[in-house]
Amino acid sequence: MNEQALRWRSMVGVWRRHAVCLLRTWKVALTWFLIEPAFVLIAMGAGVGRLIDELPGHGSYAEFVTPGMIVGMAMFHALFECAWGCFNRIQQGTMETMLTAPVTLAELAAGEVLWGATRAIISTLAVGGFALMLGWLPISALPGVALIAAIIGLQFGAIGLCFAAASPSLSTLTLVFTVLATPLFFFSGSFFPIEVLPQWLQPLAWLAPLTPGVHLARGFAVGAMDMTHAWSALYLAVLSVGFFPIAVKLLQRRLVK
Amino acid sequence: MNEHDSVIRVNGVVKRYADLCAIDGISFAVQGGETVGLLGPNGAGKTSTMRALAGLSPWDQGQVSVAGLDAATEGRRIRQIMGVVTQHDGLDNELNVTQNLELFGYLAGVSRTAVRRRAREVLEFFSLTGRATDDVDDLSGGMKRRLAIARALMIDPEVIVLDEPTTGLDPHSRAQVWEKLAQLKSAGVTVLMSTHYMDEAAILCDRIAIMDHGRILALAPPHALIERYAGGQVVEIRLDGAERQILRDALRASGVKWRELGALFRVLDGDTDLTALQELAGVRIERRATNLEDVFLRLTGKELDDE
Repeated sequence: MNEQALRWRSMVGVWRRHAVCLLRTWKVALTWFLIEPAFVLIAMGAGVGRLIDELPGHGSYAEFVTPGMIVGMAMFHALFECAWGCFNRIQQGTMETMLTAPVTLAELAAGEVLWGATRAIISTLAVGGFALMLGWLPISALPGVALIAAIIGLQFGAIGLCFAAASPSLSTLTLVFTVLATPLFFFSGSFFPIEVLPQWLQPLAWLAPLTPGVHLARGFAVGAMDMTHAWSALYLAVLSVGFFPIAVKLLQRRLVK
Repeated sequence: MNEHDSVIRVNGVVKRYADLCAIDGISFAVQGGETVGLLGPNGAGKTSTMRALAGLSPWDQGQVSVAGLDAATEGRRIRQIMGVVTQHDGLDNELNVTQNLELFGYLAGVSRTAVRRRAREVLEFFSLTGRATDDVDDLSGGMKRRLAIARALMIDPEVIVLDEPTTGLDPHSRAQVWEKLAQLKSAGVTVLMSTHYMDEAAILCDRIAIMDHGRILALAPPHALIERYAGGQVVEIRLDGAERQILRDALRASGVKWRELGALFRVLDGDTDLTALQELAGVRIERRATNLEDVFLRLTGKELDDE
């Protein structure tokens, strides 16, 4: 309750629980992390990419789409873990039970979000590694792209947790994917430059919470940054911390009676 | 710590929800090494009281402390020395038996080697060693409950609170849980447990708090409660063919107070003169020693399992 300071050990304990689970089910996890993104990457880069000429300033379509795909996948992984995973564990009472340990609610939430970010990083290394082999991402870009993916993971982990805590049922929970994630995936500049959208839609696309991540990751991939990237970095920083207190509040309302 | 210091102190606690008062001004203390039971029906305020102790839910008035730590502000430090067993096992079915235990050791900041050792110890203690790597879903109900209690012991607690530890278990599993709780008690662990089973409270508890509607109606050792509130004997009258109404009329004529439990009529005052009834055909009169159930009935005017 009035215990504000976050204890690192508790957050790592929560994080560790998820790591243990992942290792227990590594075969299933492998499809998540490798096979699915590989298919999507090949479909977009080698399939759709064949039909599209080079994009000015971006090289091939595959090179254009790769950082967007990586960031989009990072978002999905963090959301899936923190929305779907946490919702299930709230329903099963295991989250509430974790609070009977010397762990505060904020630490529990932070552990969940850190795990969301971890999954985003693992996904990025998997897809990124694949893209490296195909020559669609320069190796120098990988650390920067992974950093962005980690921050996207924190941001969407917190957003996912908000949905998990606020959803009364599974059907409302799926809104996070149908209403939020899918549109963001397609309209945040991952698959085409925002400049090709209608004039009136462009400001909205720039404000979409996935856009700064995609924009920055592409900046790292191309190896060129300008003022727009500075603004994106600022926006991303706000987004990455802004949802966490809301998630804690909602989780408190859900778990503490 | 001195054996006779109060480990748990609850003083004038009130907790209200929008439309009801879950805890209506309760005070009690539990001494070191003592086992105290909160006995009452659902909605009596038992769970709310235990959650307050662990610093898991807020309350509106009064003070709660465990081992000198204020539950309002130091819930974490309390949970570092107090094991909490919730009513629902809350076991993590994505982890195996040992991993469930180890998780709670890590969350409490116990080192890796100590966690492993402790997990082996508590598995042994609860006769679960053979199931160490099993999935939680493969355990029986009794094993799951033992695992949930084992989990609370991962921190080697000074105090343990258990919310209805045997509700929903078969008689054999209940006896197993009782056996382990008795062992914990002899090891000097302070225990606060809630229950709505009379036998459980009578067997395990040094003192029992009878609770109803968020209040403690009486708090004393089981035998003292029985002596004070139930007297020596109760009379139970069974209908053996006679009409209920005839028996009612006869009881009323004798000036006796009774309660009807289906076909069973219970007269709480065992010293009542019931000679007039013996002449009635088709009734059987039995006297038996009083128990906690009679205490509860006397104090609340209802059966414990009335909802």
